[in-house]
Amino acid sequence: MKLDITIQRYLPEQAAEPFAQTYSVPYDASTSVLDALTYIKEELDPTLSYRWSCRMAICGSCGMMINGKPILGCNVFLRDYAKTGMLIEPLAHFPVERDLIIDMESFLTHLEAVKPYLINKKAQGVQTFEPHVQTPQQLDKYQQFSNCINCGLCYSACPQFGLNPEFIGPAALTLAHRYNLDSRDQGQAERMPMINSEEGAWSCTFVGYCSEVCPKQVDPAAAVNQSKVTSATDLLLSLLGGRS
Amino acid sequence: MSYRPTLTRTWWLKNNAFKAYMLRELTALPLLFFLLCLAIGLYSLGQGEQQWQHWQTVMQNPLVLLINAVAFAASLFHAWTFFQLFPRVMPIRLGGTTVPAAALVAGQWAGVVSVFALVAWLFWG
Repeated sequence: MKLDITIQRYLPEQAAEPFAQTYSVPYDASTSVLDALTYIKEELDPTLSYRWSCRMAICGSCGMMINGKPILGCNVFLRDYAKTGMLIEPLAHFPVERDLIIDMESFLTHLEAVKPYLINKKAQGVQTFEPHVQTPQQLDKYQQFSNCINCGLCYSACPQFGLNPEFIGPAALTLAHRYNLDSRDQGQAERMPMINSEEGAWSCTFVGYCSEVCPKQVDPAAAVNQSKVTSATDLLLSLLGGRS
Repeated sequence: MSYRPTLTRTWWLKNNAFKAYMLRELTALPLLFFLLCLAIGLYSLGQGEQQWQHWQTVMQNPLVLLINAVAFAASLFHAWTFFQLFPRVMPIRLGGTTVPAAALVAGQWAGVVSVFALVAWLFWG
């Protein structure tokens, strides 16, 4: 069996505009899209560029648009596209550097902006190391939101990020919410100005497609909209003078 | 060197999830019409009996009835989407366990039914 795969190529040293190129790839029931790209690079066209690493939906490197949907190349089989055909494009809403390789700089900047680490004032300067004890119920509050693998699919699924690249976006806001829900963390006050801002949670209009494409069922749309509740509570508290 | 793709005005036509989203947001337009009708009705009531009778005549126009019927259907559709999203936005925990989403959705529909029952009792009871 063979499948014609059309790939959006971009070779800046050859052409200023991206162009389409079609390859005929042999496949069986177990051939993933990532396998197909490897076949193209090794057997048909060594100039093709794409990112990959783990082959098992853990590292989050091989995100791409397949027939317009953000998906991990290792997480989907060619057999499912026998009838529809296949168009592979780089992840949407990001600058493209070459072929399927996008520039993730803005995504990483947004991640960094939310202070995605435990902030615990007591722990600073302490020389002895003691475990942070946490009950299963406390873990349950945030565990789902901590499964993110930073693949960026949710950003390609988000039209608000596509329209405004300054929007902090689903994964970063989810990570902020994840740490705010953590019983060991005391950094919510430091994260709230960013969540409350124009580019924070309120830029989300709950399109919800981010949660549909998430390969780890993190449900970023839920996290972002829960952040709106936190943000509104934060505003109310500041108006009532309950918070300095 | 890199290129940045830009979204066109028709971005939402490329994907069924985006079309469903736009349909949900579109429900605001017929509801806006209904609210305008309601606001004009209240204003007419304050202007005296003749204005009030005139407003009632306008409300019975088949086109106005049709748009308001669409607004009613749109509000039910919007409620349906909203009720599904609610358990994800405000998960309620009782005694350490999360209340099932289906129970929260059912509770909201029970609220809608009770409001309908109250209105029916007020006008026809």
